[in-house]
Amino acid sequence: MPRADRIAFIAPRFAEGGTVGGAETLLKNLADHAAAAGRRVTFLTTCAQSHFSWENTLPPGRRQVGNLDVHFFPVDADRDVGEFLRVQAQIDRGGPVSARDEDIWIRNSVNSRALCAFLKDHGGEFDRILAGPYLFGVTYHAAQVWPAKTLLVPCLHDEVFAYLDLMRGMFGSVAGCLFNSVPERELARRLYAFPDAKSAVVGMGLDAFAADPAAFAKRHGLHQPYVMYAGRREMLKGTPLLCAYLHAFRGRTGRDLKLVCTGSGPIEAPPEFAEHILDLGFVSEQEKREAMAGAVAFVHPSVNESFGIVLLEAWLAGTPGLVHAQSAVLRWQCAESNGGLWFRHYPDFEEALLRLLDEPALRRALGQNGRAYVQRAYAWPAVEQRLFQALDTPG
Amino acid sequence: MSDTMFEVNAPGVDVEQLVAEIRAAAEKKMAEGVYADARIARAERLNLGNLRDADEFLNFYLKCLRDAAFVDISDFPIRERRRFLGPALVALKKVIWGLLKFYTYRLWSQQNQVNGLLVTAVEGVDQKYAAKLQELERRVQTLEKQLATDSQAGKGA
Repeated sequence: MPRADRIAFIAPRFAEGGTVGGAETLLKNLADHAAAAGRRVTFLTTCAQSHFSWENTLPPGRRQVGNLDVHFFPVDADRDVGEFLRVQAQIDRGGPVSARDEDIWIRNSVNSRALCAFLKDHGGEFDRILAGPYLFGVTYHAAQVWPAKTLLVPCLHDEVFAYLDLMRGMFGSVAGCLFNSVPERELARRLYAFPDAKSAVVGMGLDAFAADPAAFAKRHGLHQPYVMYAGRREMLKGTPLLCAYLHAFRGRTGRDLKLVCTGSGPIEAPPEFAEHILDLGFVSEQEKREAMAGAVAFVHPSVNESFGIVLLEAWLAGTPGLVHAQSAVLRWQCAESNGGLWFRHYPDFEEALLRLLDEPALRRALGQNGRAYVQRAYAWPAVEQRLFQALDTPG
Repeated sequence: MSDTMFEVNAPGVDVEQLVAEIRAAAEKKMAEGVYADARIARAERLNLGNLRDADEFLNFYLKCLRDAAFVDISDFPIRERRRFLGPALVALKKVIWGLLKFYTYRLWSQQNQVNGLLVTAVEGVDQKYAAKLQELERRVQTLEKQLATDSQAGKGA
């Protein structure tokens, strides 16, 4: 196949303004870099901004955003949310779901007939179509329009939706997949017997930065050591677990260790621990980086991630990671980089944290390893090389 | 398509080795009862990782529950954070506690009784269903073997 010059990216939302999820940000960044490398990039997305309401809040039509030609299409207004939630609850329970119910679920997911119609009419103009993440109706239906030239950017998680037969069908029909990590590729191999020959591990690039490790603590009058968490705060991300562990850690070891959090959502913590949390909410990139740089460790307690962008950022700040062992991706990143440790339960957590607190040389070595790893594997030139190789490879 | 372009085993610290050391230290302490702590049991309820390793979690949690079930109301120090009149306040609190102890004893002993019964019941349920599951697994294994033998015999015929 000659160089893929004309590329369409498809995502249910367009990452603009910093409040959109990681998968959309990933697709937008890949699109930006493909466009900057001289490829003609069209971005197809919906008019929705909220992933709760999926209300069409942006005007439909075409807009130039940087180097990208972005087309906004309305989300179908006739979706039956009640039916969608009924089947979703059934899927969540993990019981058997009939093909008919799977069909009801995906038809009433977030869809855009206008987007698919555009793709039908204009898909011939593109050499490659990249669509993701995997569990939205927009992605599922778009992938069926020109499957032979479609590459999924699935951001696949080990969750109930991934086990649906219709997902197996989608993965089986497309030309290939761009995964974020080796464990994500292994998951697709396990679930769908997805062949390595049709897959590439690309990930997202990060730009190196410098951050003063003392600046954040000085600015906030923080004299005690702290660990850091950045991202959404919710049960599935493991933030209540982190707070409960740190509360137990303080009580058991007598160490005055604080928690610094950035991101959105309420923090569920034991009441006695609340005063030891510095919740910054949304902050500037520089503030976040300086907070990371001064931390004893960046703790990522989530058990189900397809790509740990914040962990990579923490490593760029020179801070070691401490992650949940059940997250295959985060654990893989720590093992690959030699930049972080992992815990199964509280005893592991306490032992690991005590070592990180008491051994500054270990902290530094882990942080340096992590930083070197990100600069080697996730600098944009390395990611672009993997992306373009995947785009230009026939299949 | 492209193969992975990641380097394995970056130089420097060996985290696999470190984690193995940490796990060994944690397991030794667990065996010694260092982590049999109600605070940990409470925190572990939030550990989603345990949902995938239910047997290990249940054993650990039951041990914590056993250790935490029988409360000793005398087992806490009486302290005073304020420096001013600190010793006098501690003495006063001790007197108050001495007076209340008699009245709280009944509640305390009832609570201990309930806790003990609950632990026994939970352990009983666990043991009962563990035995039932083992029996079912054994039967499934026997039936699968029988099925395989029958299907071989069918092919031979």
